[in-house]
Amino acid sequence: MNSLLPFALLLTAFTGALMLLLPHISPHRYFFAITVAPGFRSSDQGRASLRRYNAAVVCSVVIAVVATLGVDQSEPRLTVPMAALSPALLGLAAFLLERSQVRRFAAPVSAVREAELAPEHDHLPRWIALTLPPFALPLAAAAYLRAHWDEIPARFPVHFDAHNVANRWADKTARAVYGPLVFAGGGMLIMILLILAMFYGSRRGRQRTAILKMMVAVIYFMGLLFTGIGIMPALQFSPSVLFIPALAFPLILLVWIIFVLRDPKMPADATPDECWTLGAIYYNRQDPAIFVQRRIGFGYTPNFGNPLSWLIMGGFVAALLGLVFTLPR
Amino acid sequence: MPSSAKIRIDLNSQVPAYRQIVDAVRVLLVDGTLPPGSDLPSVRRLAMELGVHFNTVGEAYRALAEEGWLDLRHGRGASVIARGSPGAAPPERLQEFRVQLRNLVAQMRSAGVPPTRIAAELRAAMESLHL
Repeated sequence: MNSLLPFALLLTAFTGALMLLLPHISPHRYFFAITVAPGFRSSDQGRASLRRYNAAVVCSVVIAVVATLGVDQSEPRLTVPMAALSPALLGLAAFLLERSQVRRFAAPVSAVREAELAPEHDHLPRWIALTLPPFALPLAAAAYLRAHWDEIPARFPVHFDAHNVANRWADKTARAVYGPLVFAGGGMLIMILLILAMFYGSRRGRQRTAILKMMVAVIYFMGLLFTGIGIMPALQFSPSVLFIPALAFPLILLVWIIFVLRDPKMPADATPDECWTLGAIYYNRQDPAIFVQRRIGFGYTPNFGNPLSWLIMGGFVAALLGLVFTLPR
Repeated sequence: MPSSAKIRIDLNSQVPAYRQIVDAVRVLLVDGTLPPGSDLPSVRRLAMELGVHFNTVGEAYRALAEEGWLDLRHGRGASVIARGSPGAAPPERLQEFRVQLRNLVAQMRSAGVPPTRIAAELRAAMESLHL
């Protein structure tokens, strides 16, 4: 038996739980990414729909467990990918299947649009400045590494397996030592640029404020996590120390999203159903918005009908790829 | 600017979107919700909020500027300006309004609204515009 099997099975259970949560961590206005009447979720059809979906997800988790056990016997190196991917893919199939059922109960999307004529909402809120303090973390770590350069071993671990055993090493060079910190700073800068693009490229509303606040929290998390990783060559602590915050943060974010979505008055972007493909890809050439609210999960997605979205997403991907090259190899 | 300065348009209406924007903003200008000195959102921002093309909002702002309500600033939206009392409308313009009013009253009658109610609605509309 692969020693990673218990971890893999936990991953399957976690992914399955996430799939079960999926209809609940999306704006109330939508049910399986379809616009429905306000009370539809608690109606007989809505409850039946959720029951069917939950049963399908539970079945998909059982199938994923069986497949993972099978792969563990024949191809142990595929155990973890199988454990993570199979429940996600099967769950997604169940979601799309249920989506096609819910389509019959779709409510007409109102063509009425309302706009406030107050321009003050177009100015960046002051709390956006909170994105700047986290940059002090990688800067402080870099200063510490520079001051303790002699204490860094000639070769140090840069990658660990699931048992916390180092399986990749790097020579002590400026790139290897400072790389994770540059990655942290660059990643946080990209996040700030995305926040600005989303602020100016999406419609106003309380949902925009909530999403942007979550992104600010992500910047803090990135700063802490990558500074922790970056300082490891000098302090040489176990990477398991970073495991708990790395797992805890997504859970905190999940609870935050559920809390925000519990507010029945939380508005959602009014976008036409017919402009969505698979409930996740938005393409509307008539809509000048660059980003629109997602229907699955809570956040923004690009409007692929707007050329500016392609430009921004292209820049985002190019910047990410550029950052990857700063990491030690 | 009071927070109630909102406009609403119907994308399925037969009335063009730019005309709906002009009419809605004009009501707020006439009733004083948008006093002189108020800033309006940029063309890009208002178009995004309403889900219409930039040109639609641009055309609406230009129409209101031609009526003397707005001062357009390149790339920065528009602001409301003090508008002196316009002179009496020329007879042909007055005739145009008369036709529009007659059509509206006829539509209301044909929809079953009694004459007393029509008169009351017209009075209420006048009062809401502080006229």
